[in-house]
Amino acid sequence: MVKLGIQLGAGMRLRGDFEGLVDCRGGSIDRSIFWDREIYDAELQRIFARCWIFLAHESQIQNPGDFVTTYMGEDAVIVCRRKGGAIGAFLNSCTHRGNRVCLADYGNARRFVCNYHGWAFGLGGELLAVPEQQAYADERSLFDQTTLGLKAVAQVDSYKGLVFGTFDPNAPPLTEYLGAFTYYLDVLLDAEEGGTEVLGGCLKALMSCNWKLPAENFTGDAYHVQWTHQAGASAMISQRQFAYDLDRSYAANVNGHGSEFGLDGVANVAVLGHPEIVKYFRQRRATVAARLGELRAQMWGSVSSANVFPSLSFLSGVNTLRTWIPRGPHTTELRTWVIANKAMPDEIKELLRTATPRAFSPSGVLEMDDGENWELSTRAMAGVATRKERLHYGMGLHTRIDHPQLPGNVYQGQLSDANQLAFYQKWADLMSSPGPFERQDHMVAP
Amino acid sequence: MSEASVAHAGISRDLRDEVVAFLYREARFLDHADYDSWLALLAEDIRYVIQASPALYRRDGGARENDIAHMDDGLADLRRRIKRFQDAAAWAEDPPTRHCHIITNIEVEATDNKDEFQVYSAFVNARGRFELEDVIMAGRREDIVRNGEDGLRLVSRRVFLTQNVLLSRNINTFL
Repeated sequence: MVKLGIQLGAGMRLRGDFEGLVDCRGGSIDRSIFWDREIYDAELQRIFARCWIFLAHESQIQNPGDFVTTYMGEDAVIVCRRKGGAIGAFLNSCTHRGNRVCLADYGNARRFVCNYHGWAFGLGGELLAVPEQQAYADERSLFDQTTLGLKAVAQVDSYKGLVFGTFDPNAPPLTEYLGAFTYYLDVLLDAEEGGTEVLGGCLKALMSCNWKLPAENFTGDAYHVQWTHQAGASAMISQRQFAYDLDRSYAANVNGHGSEFGLDGVANVAVLGHPEIVKYFRQRRATVAARLGELRAQMWGSVSSANVFPSLSFLSGVNTLRTWIPRGPHTTELRTWVIANKAMPDEIKELLRTATPRAFSPSGVLEMDDGENWELSTRAMAGVATRKERLHYGMGLHTRIDHPQLPGNVYQGQLSDANQLAFYQKWADLMSSPGPFERQDHMVAP
Repeated sequence: MSEASVAHAGISRDLRDEVVAFLYREARFLDHADYDSWLALLAEDIRYVIQASPALYRRDGGARENDIAHMDDGLADLRRRIKRFQDAAAWAEDPPTRHCHIITNIEVEATDNKDEFQVYSAFVNARGRFELEDVIMAGRREDIVRNGEDGLRLVSRRVFLTQNVLLSRNINTFL
C-alpha cells in the first residue's frame, strides 16, 4: 500500500457544493475549479476576502504620501504611507457614488480626490472635505463625515518588507498565517543585512488563465522546468536539459504555502546569463550562512520556486517577485517586480534591473513559454466532456520525510505534486467554510 | 527659422526615403520571423528598450528612466532572445505566430552627429497564434539610425506601448 505523504485533516474533501472537487488522498483535482463562475465567485469571498494578500513592498512607499494601487481579489485598493509612518490600505472607491479615487499606479499624494463630485480623502482614508458641504448641513441629510471615509482594509501588517492586508478582521495575525513558512521566505527576504527593496516599478500582463494555475506552478512545479523551459535554458545558459538532483532537493509546504528547491546554490542565478551575478552569490555565500545557516545559504540562488498562499510568488536568485491577480475565472493579471537585497552593490542591482525581466517577465526568455500552457489548460475546461475528466496530481506522494532542519511538510526531491496538493487542500479548507465575510453577506441591511 | 524647417535641415528626400525603406524592410523581416536578417540591421552598440507604461499623475512626472522595462537589451541580449525564438524546443513558437508589423507616421530629423538621425514612427502590431486570437498592440518608437559604411543601422530604439497592463501573455516579437 502506498504510504501517503500528505497529512489529511477533516478538510480533505470539500463539503457542501464543493464536495469532492479536491481529492488529496487520491491525487486528483476536478477541472471545474479552473472554470466555473460560481466557484470563482466563492473564491473571491472565501479566499481573497479572508487570506492575507500581498499589497506592496515597503520600499515602494517610503515617504509620507507615497502610494501604490493594487487589488485584493477584484477589490481595488490604495496602499499608502501615512504621516507618522504607518501604512494604510483602503478601498479605492468613493463612498458617495463608488468612483475610483486614485487612478495612478504609484506616486505621492496629500489627498485622494474623487473626480466625480470632488470628495477628498486623507492618507488614512478619512473623508476630509466635500464641495458644497452646506447642502448636507441639515441633519436629515444623514451626512456623518466620520463614517464616510474610504473603507479600510481590516488588518495590514508587514513581514520583512512585504506588506500584506486582509479584509477579515478575524483572520489570524500575519505571523501566524505565514507560520513556519518564514523559514523559506527569509531566503528571499533576509539573506543579507538590511533586507530587500524592489527596483524601478512593475511589469503587468493579462493572461487568459485561471489564477490557480500559475500559483500552483510556483508552489511546487519543478517538473515543468526541464521541458517547458528547454529553449529558454538553451538560450540563457547553453544547457538544454535541467538535471534534477533528487537526493539534494526538496519540496516543503506550510499552511498551503509551498516551495521546492535544490541546494546547488546558483542554478536560478545562472539563468540571468550574467557571470558577475553568479560570482556575487558565490562570494556572499559564507555571509549568508552566518545569517541563515549553511542549509539556507545553499538554497539561496538554487533552482527553486515558491508561493505564499494564495497568490504571491517568487524565485530566489532570479530575484523576481510577482502576484497573480484574479480578473475573472479565466483571466489573471500578472504583476511582477525585481526584488534585490539592499546590501547588493549598485552594479549588481543595475544588472538585475534588466536581467531579471529578461529571464522572467511577460517578455522573459524563460517565462515566455509559461503563459500559453496555463491559457490552454484553462481553455480546455470549456468542454463539458473534458471538464468531467479529473486531473492527475499523484507525483511523489510517497516521498514525505522528516528533516532535522526543514520545517513544515517536507518531501525528498523536487519532483512532486505534494506542494500543489497542499495548496489545493488549503483552498478546499477555506472554500468549505463560509467564514465571516459570507455571514456578513447574509445580513439584511438596516 | 521655423521648427519644421530646422527639423528637416540636412535631411534630403533621398535619405528620408532610404530611412523609410529601412524601417519597412525591418518590419518585413520581423513579420517573417527572419531574425538573422533583422540582427544584421542593428548596430553593434544598439540599445533596444520596450518601456513599461505606468499610469502616473502629471505632478509625479513621467515614467522614470531607470524603471524596469519589458525589454532593455544590448546586442548580446537580443541574440539570446533570438536563440530561443529559433530553438526547436521553443514550444510557444511552433506552430509559428502570425505576425504583422504596420509602421507609419515616420519622421526623420538631423542630430548633432551628421551620420545619425532621429527617427520617429508609430506601429500597429497584430499577432495570431491560437484559433480565436488576434492580439493587437499599438505604440510609437523613437529611434536613432546611423548611416555607416554598410548602410543604415539601428543604434537605439525606445518603444512606448499604449497598454498599461499588457493585454496579452507575452511579447514574442520585436516592435
